[in-house]
Amino acid sequence: MKEARRPFSKEIIHIENIDQVCNKIIAKLKIDVTKNLQRRGAIVGISGGIDSSVCLALSAKAFGSKNVLGIMLPEKDSSDDSRQLAEKLAATYGVSTLVEDITKALDGFGCYERRDEAILRVIPDFDKKVDKAKIEIKQNIAENIPAIFSITVIKPNGDVVSKLLPAREYLQIVASTNFKQRSRMSMLYYHAERMHYAVIGTPNKHEVEQGFFVKHGDGGADVMPIGHFYKTQVYQIAKHLGVPQEIIDRTPTTDTYTAEQSQEDFFYQMPFASMDLIWYGWENNYPADEVGKVMGKTTKEIENIYKSFERKRKTTEYLRMRPIF
Amino acid sequence: MKSTNELKANIKKYILEASLSDVKDVEDDALIFENGLLDSMGLLFLIEFLGESFQVEVSDEELNPKNFESINNIVSFVSNKLSVKV
Repeated sequence: MKEARRPFSKEIIHIENIDQVCNKIIAKLKIDVTKNLQRRGAIVGISGGIDSSVCLALSAKAFGSKNVLGIMLPEKDSSDDSRQLAEKLAATYGVSTLVEDITKALDGFGCYERRDEAILRVIPDFDKKVDKAKIEIKQNIAENIPAIFSITVIKPNGDVVSKLLPAREYLQIVASTNFKQRSRMSMLYYHAERMHYAVIGTPNKHEVEQGFFVKHGDGGADVMPIGHFYKTQVYQIAKHLGVPQEIIDRTPTTDTYTAEQSQEDFFYQMPFASMDLIWYGWENNYPADEVGKVMGKTTKEIENIYKSFERKRKTTEYLRMRPIF
Repeated sequence: MKSTNELKANIKKYILEASLSDVKDVEDDALIFENGLLDSMGLLFLIEFLGESFQVEVSDEELNPKNFESINNIVSFVSNKLSVKV
């Protein structure tokens, strides 16, 4: 008999049997890497963020600490606490680490120069030596219009200049900063190939489905063990696996631009806890009014957020597509 | 200065050419994003087109459904900007 659908609630995506779920992910990861991919261990790029930390913890449990290598891949724009957190994480699980600074590779690609050149065309008094910059979406997700990025420059005295990014400059900034994720992917595969390991991809469900990853960058991996888990579920898994509390408490950032930037500002336009639930509602065809009542939003707002999810999934389909033969 | 009709014809022609769908025509009050005629990059290129063709610059605050959700709304937004300029 078909199970009756549960009424929508704030607890609907909470994992009840967390121990069982974690054991299932670990068992599957082991089979995927050793049997399906025929590799003998795992390479995980670690940033001190929650997703890569959970992937390292899962890998350590699946393959044993000695068969996992955590790689830190900082560059000159990375935040200083990333390395310290990544080291603490690796120590927690007894995993060996390596640091590969990719700044010189990025310089070679002209990553910083190409990015700054585009910023200067939009904000001519941008001083790349002292100013901080980031791109962000300023629109309200509940308004029914596609998301467009703005560039924000922060001067040393705290003055902020922000302008809507024209198409050409937006594309150049994204294309140049994507060198970061693609360089990291190349380095991870170097180590994976020299050790006959698999690369563990760290994107979560939102990153995969909303296209918040770089094609052939952080989207380039052999297996993605948390690719179908909501962000709040990733936190639940992190707590269960004993990921250090500082990592759990840290605000998720992009660690891509010079100015501090949360993932919510950059891309998602709403807190993870709300996004997870509304995405679940959308994906499982819960009526907007039922979701709105629980989330404290109007039916119209939820309808517009549903439309925004639909647009994001559609416009990022290209990122998830394999080459067409 | 272009008449509203000329403005509308130019904007409509651009949207139909830039559209990702195969439509041959579009109603002036059709919701161009909701109907899948343009996506977010399409909106970005539309803003570029408005800047190049009519020297209209769009700010963060102006990027809302009232100004952009249909051809009629875009025409009225551009007309207002041009009349302020004049």
